Amino acid sequence: MKRRDFLFTISAATFAKATLNAQAGATILYDSRAVALARVDVDASGALWVQKKDLPRINGFEIKPQGACRADICIPIPRGMMRGDTFNLTAFAQRVGQKFIADPAARVWGFGEIPVMQGAYLDSRIAPDVEVPDRKGQPVRLSQFRGKKVLLVTWASW
Amino acid sequence: MAQDTGGEAAAGKWYDAAKATYTTLVDAKHAVSSAFQFVNVPTGVWIDERGKVVRPGEPAWTTSRTSEYGGKPLVTEGEEYIAALRDWVANGERSQYALSDEAFTARVKRRSDKEMEADASFALAVWFYQSNNMPSAKKYFEHAQALNPDDWNYHRQDWSFTPGEAGAKWMEKFQKLAEPYYPKLEMKPKEKPKG
Repeated sequence: MKRRDFLFTISAATFAKATLNAQAGATILYDSRAVALARVDVDASGALWVQKKDLPRINGFEIKPQGACRADICIPIPRGMMRGDTFNLTAFAQRVGQKFIADPAARVWGFGEIPVMQGAYLDSRIAPDVEVPDRKGQPVRLSQFRGKKVLLVTWASW
Repeated sequence: MAQDTGGEAAAGKWYDAAKATYTTLVDAKHAVSSAFQFVNVPTGVWIDERGKVVRPGEPAWTTSRTSEYGGKPLVTEGEEYIAALRDWVANGERSQYALSDEAFTARVKRRSDKEMEADASFALAVWFYQSNNMPSAKKYFEHAQALNPDDWNYHRQDWSFTPGEAGAKWMEKFQKLAEPYYPKLEMKPKEKPKG
C-alpha cells in the first residue's frame, strides 16, 4: 500500500468512527439527479439510513405493506432494513444489486442503475423517460415527444 | 443533444453556428448516455410515437468518410444511416430498419457489475466537477474509466480538461483498438442461417 493510500485509509477510518451514528445532511446521486437530504444516519458499518419519507424523491420507490414499490415493481423488505422512520438505503441497494460509491468525507453517495429497472426497459423497449435541460435550463422530458417520431443524437464539443 | 459537463458555455456556440431548428438540449451529466448505454459520440437512438425504442444506440453520422490516424482507419457510415432513417420516417414500423424484438434483445445487453459501478463513479465525478472540486472529480473520472475502459465518453470527457494532452491520449488508445472505433453499422438484422 502506498503511503498516500494508507493515510487516506486511516483518515477515512477515523472519519467513519467520528461520524458513527452521526446525523447530518447528505447528497444522494441517482438517475442523473442530486437529492439533498437534511438528515441521514451513517451507522458503524457505514450503512446509510435515510428518512422513509425521502425515498420517493431519492429513487422513486415508496414503502408499502408489501415492500418498497415503484410502479408495478415491489421489492420485499426484511424487517432489519427499516428502523422507526428510517430506511437502510445502502442495504436496499445491495438487495437489488445496485452499485454505489460513497464519499463520506464529502457526504455524497453515488448510486448506479437499479438492475430491475433496466430490465423493465429491456423487456418493454419503452424508452427511459430521461429529463435533460434545454439551452435555457428548462427541463425537457423524453415523454413530452409522445405522438412524434424521435431521433435522439448525442454530440460533444470535445 | 450536447453531452458536455461544460454545459451551455461549452456547447452553445456550436448550436448557434449550426443554426439549429430542432430541439436543442444540453446534457451536462451524460444522463442520456447513462440511460441508453451510449459509449461514444455521435450516437443515435430512434423512438417511435408510442415511446418504443425502434433502434438502440449506434453511430449516428451524416456523412460517410474514411480518415486515417497514425495509419489506422476511422470509418463513418453516414450515408447508409441517413438513408435508413429516411425510410423509417416514411414507413414507420413497416420499415425494414425497424428492429424486431429479437434483434433489439440481441443488441442491448444488461450492464455488468463493473459497468454499473462505473456509471455511479462517473455521476460522482460530474457532481464534484460541478462543485468545483477538481481533485475529487479526477479521482472518480479515473475510477469510472478503469472500471469500464470501453466507454469513450468517460475518457473523452475527462481528457477534455487537459486539452494539451487529450489528442495524444486519444491516439494511444485508438492505436491499441482491436475493433473499429465506431462499430460497423448493421442496419438490417443478420439473417439466420438456412436449414
